[in-house]
Amino acid sequence: MTPMIRKLVFGFAGLALLVFSGISFYQSRRLKEPVVVSDGVTQVVRLSKYFSGVEGTANDCNMYILEGKEPGATFCILGGTHPEEPAGRLAAWIFAENAVLQKGRLIVVLSANRSATTVTRVGGAYPPEFSIPTSWGEQGFRMGDRWSNPLDQWPDPEVYIHYPSGQYLAYVDVRNLNRCWPGRPNGTLTERTTYAFMEMIRKEKVDIVIDLHEAELQYPVISTIVSHEKAQDLAAIVSMTLTDMEGFKMGMEFSPKNLHGLSHREIGDFSDAAGLLFEAPEPFLDATRGKTNTEQLLTGKDDFVVRAGQHGLLFEKIDANGWPIDKRVGRHTSAVLQTMVSWTEMHPDKPMVCDSIPRYADVVARGLGQYLRNPALAKPGRIWYE
Amino acid sequence: MKYVSFILLLVVAAGLVWSPAAAQKQQVKLEQPVLLTSCGQSPGPLKIKVFFGRLGIDYVYNVQAAAGDIIAKKKEGKPFKSLIIVVGASLKGMGAAKVSIEEEIDRTKKLIAEARKQGMKVVGSHVEGMERRAQGAAPGDNSDEQSIDAVCPQSDIMVVRKDGDEDKRFTTISTGKKIPLVLFEKNMELSDVLKNLYQK
Repeated sequence: MTPMIRKLVFGFAGLALLVFSGISFYQSRRLKEPVVVSDGVTQVVRLSKYFSGVEGTANDCNMYILEGKEPGATFCILGGTHPEEPAGRLAAWIFAENAVLQKGRLIVVLSANRSATTVTRVGGAYPPEFSIPTSWGEQGFRMGDRWSNPLDQWPDPEVYIHYPSGQYLAYVDVRNLNRCWPGRPNGTLTERTTYAFMEMIRKEKVDIVIDLHEAELQYPVISTIVSHEKAQDLAAIVSMTLTDMEGFKMGMEFSPKNLHGLSHREIGDFSDAAGLLFEAPEPFLDATRGKTNTEQLLTGKDDFVVRAGQHGLLFEKIDANGWPIDKRVGRHTSAVLQTMVSWTEMHPDKPMVCDSIPRYADVVARGLGQYLRNPALAKPGRIWYE
Repeated sequence: MKYVSFILLLVVAAGLVWSPAAAQKQQVKLEQPVLLTSCGQSPGPLKIKVFFGRLGIDYVYNVQAAAGDIIAKKKEGKPFKSLIIVVGASLKGMGAAKVSIEEEIDRTKKLIAEARKQGMKVVGSHVEGMERRAQGAAPGDNSDEQSIDAVCPQSDIMVVRKDGDEDKRFTTISTGKKIPLVLFEKNMELSDVLKNLYQK
């Protein structure tokens, strides 16, 4: 092969890669994720309603508002703070598509950092999308990343200095929604997003904000509730009840007062609401994982992570059965429901009563696809897109 | 055959008498007010606090209580009658409180010494299972076990969630030091355990 032909072959191969990856990226960024809202959803508003600084940006996300027949407390569920932790988004999806409120008000967010849903880990070879099987076919979701898309916020600084604490954080966390609370109106896109959420929390007089996450098994804060001091009694009773009644262990950790930018710290410090953060186990995030594909993401099965556990390197148990997505989502739905029940016991004058949401055992037995609604059967005006 | 059955019955009965569960029946009675604190800054004391609130038990919750707090309470004329120290360490909790496990151990040793001086009963408690044992800690971190060693062998009674005794750590202390051990399985059973301990 002459040098010229070799150059041409490599040139065309590079071009083909560019075209295929470009198509994949374009399709993933524009994948429409349908949400067939529950009959309990009374309003769908944009985040920019509370702060115009996010209007027209990738992070002007939908907020699904459910109102009960009787007044009570106001809860907010944040899914998609870190879209690469899909159980958080999917559990919130179940609430948006199924919940019916008897008492109180519920605000559900599926893509808290919508920009981060439009990109995957650069150089991480993540799958661009994944699908959940349902009785009516498969529903596709964007995989997403931990950080806002660099196309929406760039460049990163050498060091990220958190506002207003002045604490130094890793440079990349300038695009991490859960390091940018409470935000500021003239900040980066990610800071403006958390500022908009803070405005919503203050204006809607939210009592409890629940931020749904997943964690690698090598991270000590796993299978737990992280609580601001305002909600510590609530978190303690929820953790104990879940561990006793639901068939899975749920711990509890205090939100450190000197670690800034996190929802469970700053929401409590800068509003009347209390912040709780729930962590479920996600082996896909472990650095020691094997194949980085959708099968691993959804089954949570990974021989290499199991081996890490045999060497005592993990903070959560794992065996050949892995951590299937149904278990991870079920943990979150049960934890949110139990928080509502325990809150109501502690505040009978300000109840929060929610129906039609499956608990852990139901999601595990029937599969989460059973709770995703068919867009083809949606009534007019009851379908939205993320 | 009857003789064998009789022997078996005796063996089973003896096992029951000496089992940790039986310790609950022959437990030490405790009095109020209670000083509830931590050795290791884990969220464990909060769990006991929740039940104390529900049971109407007179308590002071201070996760960084010092010997001076016991002395001050005595000067007020309302001395503490019992001290509960919940063991198990949280690196996050100790970091937030800006204390090391060595400082925690030093503080609790002084607390126990003052409690002994005032004739208070001391309870060592572990309520978070194996997750709050060395197995759940960062590699190389032994602070959970250090907090157990600092408190449990010096206590008058131990209250422990059963899954935290998977390796018989607390049973061994109980047997070796002849300290009654109350084990409970479900978190909600802790309410009954506390109720029994503080029943007049």
